Amino acid sequence: MSNKAYIQLDGVTKKYSRGGEELVVLDALDLKVPEGDYVALMGPSGSGKTTILNLVGGLDIPDSGKVSVADTEVANMPKSQLPAWRARHVGFVFQSFNLLPVLTAHENVMLPLQLTPLSKSERKIQADFALEIVGLSDRASHRPSQLSGGQEQRVAIARAIATDPDVIIADEPTGDLDRNSADEILQILDRLNSEMGKTILMVTHDPAAAASARRLLKLDKGTLVSDQTREGA
Amino acid sequence: MAFPVRLALRHILASKTRNGLTVLAITIAVFLLCFLLAVVKGIDAGVRSASATRLVTQSAVSLFVSLPMSYQPKIDAVDGVVLSSEFRWFGGYYQDPSNFFPQFAVNQNRFLEMYEKDIEIIEGPDGITGPGARAAVQKALNSDRRAAIIGVGLKDEEKYSFKVGDTVPIVPAIYQRADGGSWEFIIVGIFRPLKERIPDKVMYFRSDYLNTSIESGEAIGEIAAGVYYINIDSGDIGDVVASTIDDEFLNGPQRTQTITEAAFASFFVSAIGNLPLFLGTIGGAVLFSIFFSVVNAMLIAGRQRLKESGILQALGFTPLTSTFLLIFEGLMVALIGGALGLSLAVGTEGLVQDLFGANIRNYKIDSNLMLLALATSSALGITAGLSAGIPFLGYRPTEALRSMG
Repeated sequence: MSNKAYIQLDGVTKKYSRGGEELVVLDALDLKVPEGDYVALMGPSGSGKTTILNLVGGLDIPDSGKVSVADTEVANMPKSQLPAWRARHVGFVFQSFNLLPVLTAHENVMLPLQLTPLSKSERKIQADFALEIVGLSDRASHRPSQLSGGQEQRVAIARAIATDPDVIIADEPTGDLDRNSADEILQILDRLNSEMGKTILMVTHDPAAAASARRLLKLDKGTLVSDQTREGA
Repeated sequence: MAFPVRLALRHILASKTRNGLTVLAITIAVFLLCFLLAVVKGIDAGVRSASATRLVTQSAVSLFVSLPMSYQPKIDAVDGVVLSSEFRWFGGYYQDPSNFFPQFAVNQNRFLEMYEKDIEIIEGPDGITGPGARAAVQKALNSDRRAAIIGVGLKDEEKYSFKVGDTVPIVPAIYQRADGGSWEFIIVGIFRPLKERIPDKVMYFRSDYLNTSIESGEAIGEIAAGVYYINIDSGDIGDVVASTIDDEFLNGPQRTQTITEAAFASFFVSAIGNLPLFLGTIGGAVLFSIFFSVVNAMLIAGRQRLKESGILQALGFTPLTSTFLLIFEGLMVALIGGALGLSLAVGTEGLVQDLFGANIRNYKIDSNLMLLALATSSALGITAGLSAGIPFLGYRPTEALRSMG
């Protein structure tokens, strides 16, 4: 793992207006995540965890401050270039899986590959490989409704890594799963980090999930209150 | 199959009930559109095919009041008049009142001369066809006062199947026979109309058959002309000739009203109200209400698809992808409905023609109407898709992802 910051937030402030009241979700936050790091973000609801993920993934822009990923300043990128950038650099894993119910597992994994210059056969090979990594090759033709929650989340991970992005952003990936399924997901994320070198940013309320990360950041009211690196990591 | 097409088709199939009902609504709308426009066009065709150099003189009081026979020589004497011919409504039926078709009493020689370019004699006595058929038919008409010619529709339609040489009994509605029986006509020729305003299920027979029968007491009725059709030198002098004719009979037993053939044809349309406007209004109202229901269905689909838009954006697609998907989905649903509606309209064309009979003889789902139906369906689908898809462009990815859709 390199020490150079791969993901960097400098003095990032993000406010939301709710019911006429202005809420400061992130307050001049500074954060550096080296390439290949595995970071868990914890904190109470409204502490700004998911907002960090959205900013890093280019789904949202800060009110002030800089957000850069791999030396690219995400917030200043033209809106028209953001989707393509996201497709190349970021893979999302959501709490509620967010698979398209009308597509099979394989087709869901193929989705982000549509945006790559790969040929149809190359896309298929890539999707097959991604499903193999998460151990779901035998469920490729199943629709999400025919899969268990854990299997759905594995398909979502396969989709997130199909385009071989540098960063995996996981928003409570074990939140909707039972313990066994959650552990399977955490093992996959761990392998993606340790074997494939993916930088992982994960929001979680699950202490077991947090323990699987190399680094644990705790947030409260939009500020970083704790930054711990796991022993032996 | 390309990804967007596959995804849109999966969505269509995933909501079978909603999309099935939407397809059904569009099917009905397109069928109605085709049906009503074909009716309107059918009515208009008769008016549009009217000759510019032909006038019609009728009673100024009512079409149902006959004009005296004595008017014809005076009409012929008017400057600019080339030829006139009486047309008298007979109004009988064949065997059963449901077997009604128009019959007109005419002067056979004047009629054939006047309609030289309006009808084509396709079969005469003894199976004669081709260029000699007209002369043979004229000869046959002149040799028997019961002789008549019919349009080809009365030969083709199974319930009539009239052919040359047949004696056809017609039960009178106006000119009753003293013995209470039917009038007998002998078919001596079959013609094909060359103008859309001339029906193909019609019979023309000699007016002197009627007149002499009334004179001899064999039949009851008035010896008179219904209306006079008048060929004139040029369409430019129509107004002058019409005024001269009407002035001629200003103090006669019947005042006249002389109008162009097109105006006369329009009279029948206006006699039942402004049918094209009426039908157009109904069709427009139906189309509009169905349009809104289709838009509503697509809006529901759009609301359910907002989260998908967020997911697609997170994966690297632009918001336009979701908008395009909805437009494509709307277009597909509308085109399926449009194709079904069009098929229904084409498939029932013959049935509707039979139902309308001679009333709207030119009912036809032509290629222009087919193109219009498909264009309307496409426009409907694209507009509905746009209505549902454009709001996606206003949502940030995080808002779309948070939605319940």
